[in-house]
Amino acid sequence: MNKKQMGFRKKKSLAEWLLILLVVAFLGVLIIGPIISLILGAFDNGLMPVLRSITSAGFRRSLGLTLRISILVVVIQLLLGTMIAWMLVRHNFPGKTILNGFVDVPFAVSGVVVGYMLLLLFGRTSMLFPFLDRMGWRIAFAPPGIFLATLFVCFPFMIREMVPVIENLDRQQEYAAATLGASGWTRFWRVIFPQLRSGIIYGLTLTIARTFGEFGAVLVVGGGIQGRTETATVYIFRSMEERRFIEAYSAALLLGIFSVLIVLISDWLKSSLENKKSTARLKNPK
Amino acid sequence: MKYQTKILIVCMFLAILLASCDGGGSSTGDEVRLVLGAYTTPREAYNEIMPKFQEYWLEETGQRVIFDASYLGSGAQSRAVIDGFEADIVALSLEADVTRIQQAGLITHDWKAGEYNGIVTTSIVSFAVRQGNPKNIQDWDDLAKTGIEVLTPNPLMSGGAMWNVLGLYGAALRGQIDGVPADDHTAAEDFLRQVLTNVSVMDQNARDSILNYERGIGDLAITYENEVLVGRNSGQKYELVIPTSTIVIENPVAVVDANVDKHGTRDVAEAFVAFLYTREAQDIFARHGLRVVNPESAAASAALYPEVEDLFTVDYFGGWDTVMVDYFGPEGIYTRVIQQVYRGE
Amino acid sequence: MNLALLRRKERRNPGAWILRLPSILFLILVVIIPVVVIFQDGLREGFDTFFYQINLPIARHAIILTLWTSTLMTIINAVMGLITAYVFVRFDFPGKRLLNAIVDLPMAIPSLVTGIMLVILYGPQQTLGVFLMERFGFRIVFASPGIVMALVFITLPFVVRTIQPVLEDLDQSQERAAATLGASPWRIFRKVVLPALVLPTLGGSLMSFSRAVGEFSAIVIVAGNIPLRTQTAAVYVFSQVEAENRLGASAVSIVLILISFSVLFIANTLHKRWGAHR
Repeated sequence: MNKKQMGFRKKKSLAEWLLILLVVAFLGVLIIGPIISLILGAFDNGLMPVLRSITSAGFRRSLGLTLRISILVVVIQLLLGTMIAWMLVRHNFPGKTILNGFVDVPFAVSGVVVGYMLLLLFGRTSMLFPFLDRMGWRIAFAPPGIFLATLFVCFPFMIREMVPVIENLDRQQEYAAATLGASGWTRFWRVIFPQLRSGIIYGLTLTIARTFGEFGAVLVVGGGIQGRTETATVYIFRSMEERRFIEAYSAALLLGIFSVLIVLISDWLKSSLENKKSTARLKNPK
Repeated sequence: MKYQTKILIVCMFLAILLASCDGGGSSTGDEVRLVLGAYTTPREAYNEIMPKFQEYWLEETGQRVIFDASYLGSGAQSRAVIDGFEADIVALSLEADVTRIQQAGLITHDWKAGEYNGIVTTSIVSFAVRQGNPKNIQDWDDLAKTGIEVLTPNPLMSGGAMWNVLGLYGAALRGQIDGVPADDHTAAEDFLRQVLTNVSVMDQNARDSILNYERGIGDLAITYENEVLVGRNSGQKYELVIPTSTIVIENPVAVVDANVDKHGTRDVAEAFVAFLYTREAQDIFARHGLRVVNPESAAASAALYPEVEDLFTVDYFGGWDTVMVDYFGPEGIYTRVIQQVYRGE
Repeated sequence: MNLALLRRKERRNPGAWILRLPSILFLILVVIIPVVVIFQDGLREGFDTFFYQINLPIARHAIILTLWTSTLMTIINAVMGLITAYVFVRFDFPGKRLLNAIVDLPMAIPSLVTGIMLVILYGPQQTLGVFLMERFGFRIVFASPGIVMALVFITLPFVVRTIQPVLEDLDQSQERAAATLGASPWRIFRKVVLPALVLPTLGGSLMSFSRAVGEFSAIVIVAGNIPLRTQTAAVYVFSQVEAENRLGASAVSIVLILISFSVLFIANTLHKRWGAHR
């Protein structure tokens, strides 16, 4: 039953057209306008400056740092995030509800606060510092600090996505496999995992998008040191401060495109998973 | 397309991206990493000087130097170094910020010994005004007029702001301001309070302050001559006004012993600092709005940097040690006056 | 039978602790300890100092600015988010699919990039910005409207995507019944549709409020960092960290955490008790 049949009005009244117009205008001014401005702003002096900006050593180094941290965080999220989600759904142990509540904490903490917390923990004036110093470990103002900060802010994404997916697992299949003699590992890999894939992809997408965009935490705990703790976002910020506007806009444009690309890729990956299923399409109109 | 194939494609794409982004980090042969912690104003100058030094060092020793640089407000940078930022060299806006690092035990040599007392560049406190100078700002007394909106950074965070305050106060004490008798601390404090009342925004560092000015805030910004010139170089349309009496801003540079010994970079670091005093580097500083200490370079750039009628240094106040207590300490003159201004608001 | 057996096995399996211990440890180290540290630092000189710090004029202004801009944004988003979701679900028009996809963009785009986009479009050096300034005396960038705008941009998808699924699943038989009884479309909307959407709207709005309170990247670009004018609480914390005013930074950080956390808590409770859709 398509929408036209469900609706009991076939012709739209003036009021309805006005509403549509309102929404289109709103989204136009709010979202489309700025995006177009970014493109226009970056290409203000033509194509060459943009190409030069995005291939500049400074930007490439910063992007490289962002990517490396992103991949590391994704790997950890994949393993530990899924593990924790599994634990929260399938296991019962004392303190579970408290733990469950804590998972959401990073949502409530602003980026700069995250960076500051890590600075308190690992900076030179902290209690841990003498120990870290002796081991030769530098966390504050160094890449490990940025990594930890990014891990913190991305923490809930995987877990929150996986929990409903794990809750909805088809247990009949698992038990059938168990009765047929399948080992725990086989059960996991061949029965459970395929059902998790969609959720994992979505969780990882959110994680990657977040790691690309994190700024406040990285700036505070890393110090924005060129060549060492300067991620793509910090590079853009520094370019603005140094009045190198075309470089800033070009880098921002590229970062934006990358982020959108990530979402598109995840949709692309998920589409071939969904085609396998003959169940109804996801309700989400994406 | 099969799901597994897609995953493979994504991974390949990622690998290619990562490979192309390692911009110059791969090590072939002898290379050394040098970390610079500087204040915000001279970053354009250092961006030019660092490649020149890399050339020079490569020729001299065959070693490649890779620079990691950070630019923050002078006070903030100083504290960052104390807090764990491992700068091999610090280039800051005022002596007190270097002394702080020294007192934390990270600098153990006498960085002031030497031909130039550890000072690599200078500038002067001056004003940035709108194109055409519509409010006709000529000198310090114009800053206290009602209705004038002044920008200056916050002395508690920015070395630049401390210089600004001292420039103002010094000019007042020296009787160079109309209506303010010389050697009269009460009158000078009064004047300071009037100007501070006109301050609408206090930023964290000199660069942020001038950036805000560029965004249309305020009638004038008390700033370094250097900041104004750099801004104008990049197309900003404000004008520079130099008061009749002002203070010389002396910018120190020093090697951080604890870090160079830890990194094993002492030779390179000391060579870099020495390089900063050479004609080549000093000329670069001069091109980026800074007054230089190297006499030949100074002579060559004299046309860009007009003489100031009444120029004084921090020694007029008895040196930085005295200033940090008498003016910016908990009972200091500035601290007291700014509290009065806050309460009066 | 098998069900019960497997369940009992899962509960008593000692090997499960191999799974649990690293996970719990991870949670504690990465999440709990940093938050504890900041509370301990902010309160280390007692409650008096804590309140003194958050009552400093600049700090107080920053917190109030954060609260009212986030609230204004939440209201705008609730209203426009509702209308947008309704239009997408109930109406059909050319370009709808594209527009629908566009709503997702703010979630993908880094908030720093958002700030830059707004500066380019509305900055004082652009024609639009100058026009607004001269005709209406109205400045968007480096002023509070810019903050609200950036926040609306960033959090709109939350609200729309929370309401849409509920609206889609709504049983329209009641609405049709009301129509046959002669009710006007507005009345139908107000009395039948709206009550069902109150919870998802509220949930989405609370989530976006919580997100907005902590926003830093977009605001520091679009509004600058102008104390007593456009410096929100998060930006204030940043400036205090740079100024080494630890107590100030920790104190306001604590306030931020408390605000966000309570809002999230309320949203979650609503979600659980009345079983909102997602």
